[in-house]
Amino acid sequence: MAGHSDSNSSEKKSSEAMNDVPTFSAENLQNNMKVIYYSRTFMSIIGGVLAGILGFTGFMGFVLYFLVMAITSIGLIAKAKFSVHAYFDSWNRIILDGFMGGLMSFVLFWTFAYDIVHIF
Amino acid sequence: MAEDLVLDTAIRDWVLIPLSVVMVLIGILRYFVSKLMRSSQVPDPKIVKEGQVIVRARNLRAGANFIPPKSFRSRRVYFSNEENGLLFVPKGQAQNAQAQMFSDPNMAMDMMKKNLSMIIPQTLTFAWVNFFFSGFVAAKIPFPLTQRFRSMLQNGIDLSTVDVSYVSSRSWYFLNLFGLRGLFSLILGEENATDDTQRMMQMSGFGFDPTKSLGAEKDGLDIVQHEWALPKFEHRAEAVLKKLIR
Repeated sequence: MAGHSDSNSSEKKSSEAMNDVPTFSAENLQNNMKVIYYSRTFMSIIGGVLAGILGFTGFMGFVLYFLVMAITSIGLIAKAKFSVHAYFDSWNRIILDGFMGGLMSFVLFWTFAYDIVHIF
Repeated sequence: MAEDLVLDTAIRDWVLIPLSVVMVLIGILRYFVSKLMRSSQVPDPKIVKEGQVIVRARNLRAGANFIPPKSFRSRRVYFSNEENGLLFVPKGQAQNAQAQMFSDPNMAMDMMKKNLSMIIPQTLTFAWVNFFFSGFVAAKIPFPLTQRFRSMLQNGIDLSTVDVSYVSSRSWYFLNLFGLRGLFSLILGEENATDDTQRMMQMSGFGFDPTKSLGAEKDGLDIVQHEWALPKFEHRAEAVLKKLIR
């Protein structure tokens, strides 16, 4: 997973206690979201090939997709050193962003690998 | 499934893989062609000026809480007063974006070029797939589908008993069309051709109207609740320093 993230402001940590103005750099935030998008796309392709080679059909494949996405989220959180608010403005960014975008790629590579390995 | 179909390996070697490879190569080709055709037009100074004004107003809005109330108010008046504020657009002067677009043939030409670079390869590939690879089962989708999908996914195959998850090459083409978008964004960088065309479609829908965005920025600036952050910073500094001492 290409997880190069720019830290923005380390003062964010005290923001829970102080309730002060949010300070973050929009460019770094955008860069972080791009990183999330890339890693999700990459992981959905890998997950699709994996599901196809393992021969999952039907519901199992989608379960695997959710599993892969969950692993990606955990990996991203670990990459952010478990302090999500230092890198993103909300939890939704790291957990939900790009979730549906990778589904088509996943289905394509799933079908591709499944057909090549199991059907022919 | 009781009756599993056995597909010829020639289908894999001559339909499934070539189709995907061709789609990927066409996507890459389209990216470079659209890059070549993108004419670097000289931007209109008025539009550039308005864009810079918008950026400055946005910066003011983002950093509003870091300057004293008086400074903020004077800056806001500078931007949005009703006589000669930078963001204020007189009613009669707001020209129609649609009319402006038609008066400038370069813009329409550029848009047409971009749309054509999208449509032509797609039509050609679709015709190619229809002509050469129709009339047989090309792939099997690994999840069950309802009967409704039969007419869409299995056209060219006139067998009503085959399971719906066996699909023709046309469906494989569509699956590629949608699924490869993610791959393109990985190998071509973010500004790939599909994103570009999507943006163009959005723009051609309502037209880029600088006066409208000026007005929106003015409204946004007007409703900013100013609250100077500096007095609170002493508390914050105190907290940080206390933490350091401990």
